[in-house]
Amino acid sequence: MTRMILYKEWLKTRWTLAGIAAVVAALTFYCFLNLGKVVEIRGAALLWETLVAKDTVLTEILRYMPAFAGALLALAQFVPEIQHKRLKLTLHLPYPQGRMLLVMVAFSLLSLTVLFALQAGVCALCLTRWIPAELLARILRTMAVWYLSGWAGYLFVSALCLEPTWRMRVLELLVAAGFLRLLFLTPVPEAYNGFFWVLLLYVMASGSLLFLGVARFKEGYQD
Amino acid sequence: MKTIGKIFLSLSLALLFCWVAPWLYRLITLKAYATPFTLYSCTLHDFTSLDRSDEREFRFIDRSGGVHGDEAQPMFYASILASRGALPDSIEGRKISLEEIDYHSVIASSDPKDVNRTVPPVYLLMESVPERLELKDPEDAMVSRKSGIDIYDMATNTLRADKTAALNAALKARGFVFPARLFAGKPSHRKEYDEGYLVTDAEGKLFQLKQVNDSVTVRHFPAADGIGIDFLMITEFENHATLGYLTGADGCLQFLCPDGRIINTTVPFNPRKEDLLIVGDMFYYTVKVSDDKGERFWALRSSDFAPVDSMSRAYPHQRNLPGISFTSSTDSRVKLRLQQ
Repeated sequence: MTRMILYKEWLKTRWTLAGIAAVVAALTFYCFLNLGKVVEIRGAALLWETLVAKDTVLTEILRYMPAFAGALLALAQFVPEIQHKRLKLTLHLPYPQGRMLLVMVAFSLLSLTVLFALQAGVCALCLTRWIPAELLARILRTMAVWYLSGWAGYLFVSALCLEPTWRMRVLELLVAAGFLRLLFLTPVPEAYNGFFWVLLLYVMASGSLLFLGVARFKEGYQD
Repeated sequence: MKTIGKIFLSLSLALLFCWVAPWLYRLITLKAYATPFTLYSCTLHDFTSLDRSDEREFRFIDRSGGVHGDEAQPMFYASILASRGALPDSIEGRKISLEEIDYHSVIASSDPKDVNRTVPPVYLLMESVPERLELKDPEDAMVSRKSGIDIYDMATNTLRADKTAALNAALKARGFVFPARLFAGKPSHRKEYDEGYLVTDAEGKLFQLKQVNDSVTVRHFPAADGIGIDFLMITEFENHATLGYLTGADGCLQFLCPDGRIINTTVPFNPRKEDLLIVGDMFYYTVKVSDDKGERFWALRSSDFAPVDSMSRAYPHQRNLPGISFTSSTDSRVKLRLQQ
């Protein structure tokens, strides 16, 4: 049954996932095409100087992409479920409801993680040619928060989709907006170093909102 | 899970309120205020503050309320006074000239945001004695690691093994204990000369690393041993009056002289929380230390950096709502902070 649910999620989201993968690939390619040109014209020393002296990690063009990717995937996955109350049918399948929601969420989070890991891997591979491990680690530590925003974007938009009433949806929207603002408070590299694990725990805890929405739906709350 | 969801949402909304409400309150109630530019006057022997209430006039007010013109600050406004033929020939019995005033003019500042910045352990290495005399952009960089300092050729991202081995051998010979803790340098060609980096080792001892003819020289400053240095700043002023500024365990600003002496100014300064501005001339240094509560000034005699006068000015009290915030004016880190 788990395999069937995964297949259903794959059918729903494959084109969205393909589109996200294409945008991720294109942005990454564009970013490194630019950096390659800079190195060709001005030399790799400029990358060192910029990374050391300025508040940049050279890959800022990728900053908001994970959050958009997460939100888009959540819409592709849950909008079909709430249209014409198909969620009711899904919840009536002979499978524990909690586990079903968990499988659906795990499918998307894993898909996003694979995409983000691939992108981070490509970044690391390209940059290793030009900069030492210490500067590369600085870039990846900074990008980790961007990827966290991808997970947060997915979980909050999913929760908004599954919540049956507008009153509660507005409250969740306030929390989502506040949290995403927090993840993009400053562009300074490594600004979130000491706080990352707290944010990660918070994002994981935000998954409980999905279960709250489903429970309220089952209890008959609706506008 | 439903209960956890409810608790999560309630807690999140409470945190959001505690974050946004004080911010909104500040946004609405905050009143802008400016503090006047203040310097110690070598002619009045008093602090004077620039009064711009009448925008057409430059007036300086001393602490007893006396009003003066540009002649109250002949060092800072030397060019203007000279253009009017009003620059005195001598001050405190010492002959002065525009060239000499310019040569001894010193401005330095430190911002806690820079001091608290998370920096990568990579330090660009300039050639201090360039072949064509003009300073050039660095080609090598030092990477500080647990077991030593590695030197890389930045263009090819390759280790310069010979140079690295020579540097680490020189450091060990002078008693340097790895890893290095603090680095202070200005790897920019927009300066008169290059003094390389001031560096502290794992035991807090102070060293200078400087690249001369493609080889890194090491100098140890025994006078700084045991000070407990927690802040370093290199100066590179035209007059070579100091090599750097530092603070130690006693929390006071200290000057490192080119001959290796350390002079404690006894000016209390916390570089992680306070701003520092130093404006110096032939006769006096004005040192301003400020935070969000106010600013304190000291006048130091330029010849020996002995304090001769001080004053303080409190900022108007701004009422804040208690709450939480994630950013601060003294660092760039994002973390949960309680606000009183």
